[in-house]
Amino acid sequence: MRRRFGIGFWLAVGWVGVVLLAALLADLLPLYRYDETLAGPPQTGPSWSHPLGTDGLGRDVLSRIVYGARVSLGVGVGAVLLGLLIGAPLGILAGYRRRAADAIIMAVNDVALAFPALVFALAVVAFAGASLRNVLIVLAVLGVPAWVRLIRGATLSFAEREFVLAARVLGTRDRRILWREIVPNVAMPAASYAFIGMAVVVVAEGSLAFLGLSVQAPTPTWGGLINEGRTLMETAPHVVLVPSVVMFLTVLSFNLVGDRLRALTDVRESGLEPVRQVTVSPMPVAEHQVRDTLLQAEDVRTHFATPRGLVKAVDGVSFTLERGRTLAIVGESGSGKSMLIRSILGLLPGSAVRGGKVYLSGDDLTARTPAEMRSVLGPRLGTVFQDPMTALNPVRTIGTQVTEPLRVHRGLGRKEAHAEAVRLLASVGIADPVRMLRRYPHQLSGGMRQRVTIAMALSCGPDVLFADEPTTALDVTIQDQVLRLLHQLREEHHMAVVLVSHDLSVVARWADEVIVMYAGKVVERGPAAEVFRRPRMPYTQALLQAAPRLSDPVHHRLREIPGRPPDLVDLPPGCSFRPRCAYAQDRCGQEAPPLVGVALANGAPVNGSGHQYACWYPRPIETAIAEGAESSGR
Amino acid sequence: MAGSGKSHLRPRDEVLLRVEDLVVEFPAGRGRTVRAVSGVSFDLARGETLGIVGESGCGKSSAARALVQLPPPRSGSVRLDGQELTALRGEALRRTRRQLQMIFQDPISSLNPRRRVREIVGEGPRVWNLPGDRVDEVLEAVGLDPATAAVRRPHEFSGGQCQRISIARALILDPEVVICDEPVSALDVSVQAQILGLLEDLKARYRLTLVFIAHDLAVVKNVSDRIMVMYLGKVCELAPSADLISRPAHPYTRALIASIPDGGLDLPPSDTLISGEPPSPVDPPSGCRFRTRCPRARERCAAEEPQIRQVGADHWLACHYPALPDVEPPVQPAI
Amino acid sequence: MIILHRLVRLVVVLLVVTFLSYALLNLLPGDPVTQILGMSATEESREQLRRELGLDQPLFVRYLDWLGGLLTGDFGESYITRMSVGAELAERLPVTLELLIAAEIVALGLAVPLGVAAARRAGRALDQALTALSFALLSTPVFVLGVLLILIFAVTWNVLPATGWTSLSVDLGWNLTSVILPAITLGCGQLAVYARLLRTDLIATLQEDYIILARARGLSPRRIMWRHALRPSAISLITAIGLNMGALIGGTVIIETLFGLPGIGRLIVDSIFSRDYLTVQGGVVLISVGYVLVNFAVDVVYAAVDPRIRRA
Repeated sequence: MRRRFGIGFWLAVGWVGVVLLAALLADLLPLYRYDETLAGPPQTGPSWSHPLGTDGLGRDVLSRIVYGARVSLGVGVGAVLLGLLIGAPLGILAGYRRRAADAIIMAVNDVALAFPALVFALAVVAFAGASLRNVLIVLAVLGVPAWVRLIRGATLSFAEREFVLAARVLGTRDRRILWREIVPNVAMPAASYAFIGMAVVVVAEGSLAFLGLSVQAPTPTWGGLINEGRTLMETAPHVVLVPSVVMFLTVLSFNLVGDRLRALTDVRESGLEPVRQVTVSPMPVAEHQVRDTLLQAEDVRTHFATPRGLVKAVDGVSFTLERGRTLAIVGESGSGKSMLIRSILGLLPGSAVRGGKVYLSGDDLTARTPAEMRSVLGPRLGTVFQDPMTALNPVRTIGTQVTEPLRVHRGLGRKEAHAEAVRLLASVGIADPVRMLRRYPHQLSGGMRQRVTIAMALSCGPDVLFADEPTTALDVTIQDQVLRLLHQLREEHHMAVVLVSHDLSVVARWADEVIVMYAGKVVERGPAAEVFRRPRMPYTQALLQAAPRLSDPVHHRLREIPGRPPDLVDLPPGCSFRPRCAYAQDRCGQEAPPLVGVALANGAPVNGSGHQYACWYPRPIETAIAEGAESSGR
Repeated sequence: MAGSGKSHLRPRDEVLLRVEDLVVEFPAGRGRTVRAVSGVSFDLARGETLGIVGESGCGKSSAARALVQLPPPRSGSVRLDGQELTALRGEALRRTRRQLQMIFQDPISSLNPRRRVREIVGEGPRVWNLPGDRVDEVLEAVGLDPATAAVRRPHEFSGGQCQRISIARALILDPEVVICDEPVSALDVSVQAQILGLLEDLKARYRLTLVFIAHDLAVVKNVSDRIMVMYLGKVCELAPSADLISRPAHPYTRALIASIPDGGLDLPPSDTLISGEPPSPVDPPSGCRFRTRCPRARERCAAEEPQIRQVGADHWLACHYPALPDVEPPVQPAI
Repeated sequence: MIILHRLVRLVVVLLVVTFLSYALLNLLPGDPVTQILGMSATEESREQLRRELGLDQPLFVRYLDWLGGLLTGDFGESYITRMSVGAELAERLPVTLELLIAAEIVALGLAVPLGVAAARRAGRALDQALTALSFALLSTPVFVLGVLLILIFAVTWNVLPATGWTSLSVDLGWNLTSVILPAITLGCGQLAVYARLLRTDLIATLQEDYIILARARGLSPRRIMWRHALRPSAISLITAIGLNMGALIGGTVIIETLFGLPGIGRLIVDSIFSRDYLTVQGGVVLISVGYVLVNFAVDVVYAAVDPRIRRA
């Protein structure tokens, strides 16, 4: 727990605790009376008898600050709790009931926000009297609209979630849904905002006191102390500085505590905590030859230092790829297949450590600086991602996005780029390219967007196209269109394609070669038809039998792979698949199996086919044959 | 396609759930409405699994939610064991909920992150004042170890395990019908096989009747006795699973099958069976809703909506010009 | 259509706000008649004055009367000073407006580059320093910051005036020196809010697929940051500008008091103490109109920034 919050949080909690205790126990502390004039010589600095000095009337500043804390914290805590008490039920009602209740509450809220807050506070306090109670009520009421907004927003976000729907399906009554399903989830953001609200209220009370509108003399308040001290700024600056610093620290503490609590619930920020910088020694690269081929990956590794330990997302992957071929990388989530692509392209997050070599036509890409890499990305390596909904910038027109690489990399002028963009969009099968250029991504269907991203990836005539799950987010009929298009473009542009997919049937149909990944490692590779017809590694085989096929009979029992994909921080020793493998033996838990070539019956290695697997006890060829997917024609 | 009609419904006394002319509408902004489900009828016999398949926007999930009346459909009838659900409101509706349970697509979002598994699964019995001693039994039935799992919170489980918890939550009430809305589409292949196997086991063990909704035809075929194909809020074709896959008659069903890479059927390539993109559900085509993408469409398809008719043993179809050699177009009604 | 809808809403909000403030001020204890005539005045003279000022009419009639005047641009006449409220407000409005605009320029002018710099190096030293700074600024009440700045720049170094105002029409140079400290004081709190929001949203945007794809297209980090990431990340910032307008206007009251500026805020405070209802009421109208207009503008800017909102 301690490490999660950080030292600042605990210092802040400590400070608030000290101030709170001092305020509660003020009467028991050995202090001067706060209103005792000439307790010491006026306007003197800190001394033994007056640790924080005296003010213009010779009153003890420490004592006045401690008693002032009663007002500041009392109003802070009281107003926030009162505001919560009024605002939370309204917010929950608006967020959960929606419709009329929501419309009315939010309309009232709009008016309340438009009403000048300070005018309200000034008026009430000026006319009704500046008692602690009035100030507290005023500040509480002023805080209500913010509470309503926050609680309503949080309620809305949870009321739409499926677990609330599930509770209704169970027959749970509304009251119970509110208390059991919604309130516990809204409580965390509310707690966080309560602290931030206290900071706001302490400042607001100070502002009122500063204007002489808070609790009246002789009761000291922090804002009042600062206001009084102003006149002595030139002769005795400590009189104004000391309450200023105390107020600053208190407000800062409330803000810090609130912010840390919010970070606990805010998923968006939780991944951004500064990563502990771990020095990872440069990874040695296995000896290898640079081949005369389009793309060569040698011993590619991608490691992440996470708070839980070192994650080897990609752990030593090598392959080569020629023009006009499609290499598929298959695996389940967490296998490292997408990370492999990003590693090759040099598009890893800052916390990643990369190892291995990548050669493009014999040119070492890993030796390039980011700036040098940019001249390759686009012109020679094109990329298409999984989700076309997120692959295009939502606020820019299709035109600006498609023409941008043309202008940056190919140096085309505005007109030429436009003409080229029209040609490109037409080439990916978009019917009305001129109109398309003026549109925004949200106006297009998923299939259209994916065509646009493909057009962008092709705009600079790349040699290799990386397609990371290009059709997973699309409907089946559109999926087939897009895969056909990719295949056709590969032929037209004489490119190589790296196709990442979890869908074995897609891979079987469209790939020439396949790499099967599990827990960051290659477990089987080879010509696609061969690997799918005669899988040797038990994982590949089980995966093929686990996927339902149309040709299977109805109620066909699929092969179940027990357990779950491994935790990359805590991989089992030896073969990573061992805990889920039906054929594992002792050796599998001791030594990781290397990738070896398929041997003929007489033990001689098969040259040329390139079918390799990483397994100590591979499945015999006979049992594997019948169960592989058919690679049907295109 | 995209037809209406009720001729395919079986006699009332043979079915457990009977849905007639279901219509679901949503506001689409600017005062317009989308008809997500537009006059869909189907029924389920006790112990049967009905698969509903279709692409995004076909209305399959909206139909599922209308079955549990969340929200209630715009019009139409949902009869469970003879009781009309759409006529019920408030407490009376709540009392029927035990019989009809649901499993959702997103395993993470369908579990409250702040509650422990024992509370989540035990919620049903608590709401219904039933003894809570079956929590361990159902957790075991879905393949979780009650001793370790019950005290943990959802985030400590993988997607597949979360889906098991959801299934346990539905099962503990002994429902008559369980509606599974894309229960495996968020899962990896290996885990998907586990969940499909589990559903088949539980169906046998607890004598469940299932509605299984998915976009993946191969998955649907694996678990369903009958399959209903939907497009843009309408029914295209309804047939026993094996029959539907081996003798697809509706042009859309054929395109769907041909688009699957390992379809393994003697169908022409998918690009000759379907073209373009689905039209907007706000402004659907007249007549047959599939006609804008259908290579077989003729004038009649725009003018007249096809009605569901029988083309084989329990094989039902809504198409004027189906792709079956031995089926004639229906006789034009006399004017 | 949407604009029309918004305008109707705007008018309704203004009507409700002005009526509420009118009622609030009139229902509170304290009487302008006593304020003018003193405690010793006879009942007849009080009654006489009350009739003269129209205070004998029912609240709602008085409000409608006032509202009717407002529609013709007549803010009424102060009970206390017998001067035109409209003229008084018109004289003071430029001061407050200049202060607000200068403060937003300070806040946005610094927040955008700081937020971008912090997001680019999220988690590194610069980012952490900026986070600490924004927390410090966020936690410093305006009156404390103002006092500190006066102490440093006016008292110790004596480079800027501590108080006082020179109108823009009198002398540009002096005008700027008199607005600079108040504007910084008022802008710093906003600066912290804006910079933090922008940083958080930018970091989230930079992890989006379309940004990674922009990198995969070989575009430079500078281009990606300013042309691709900034605009989709600006929504929360723009929302905050609208929502914080209320707090900012509240801040002007303090600033004008602290720096002795003759603005609307100061006028309202003084008028409240002197029970000068109509002047307070005039100020309330100005502030509410300002708040509502700014939020109206924010909605328009939304649509300009994010095409997805244009449809809805």
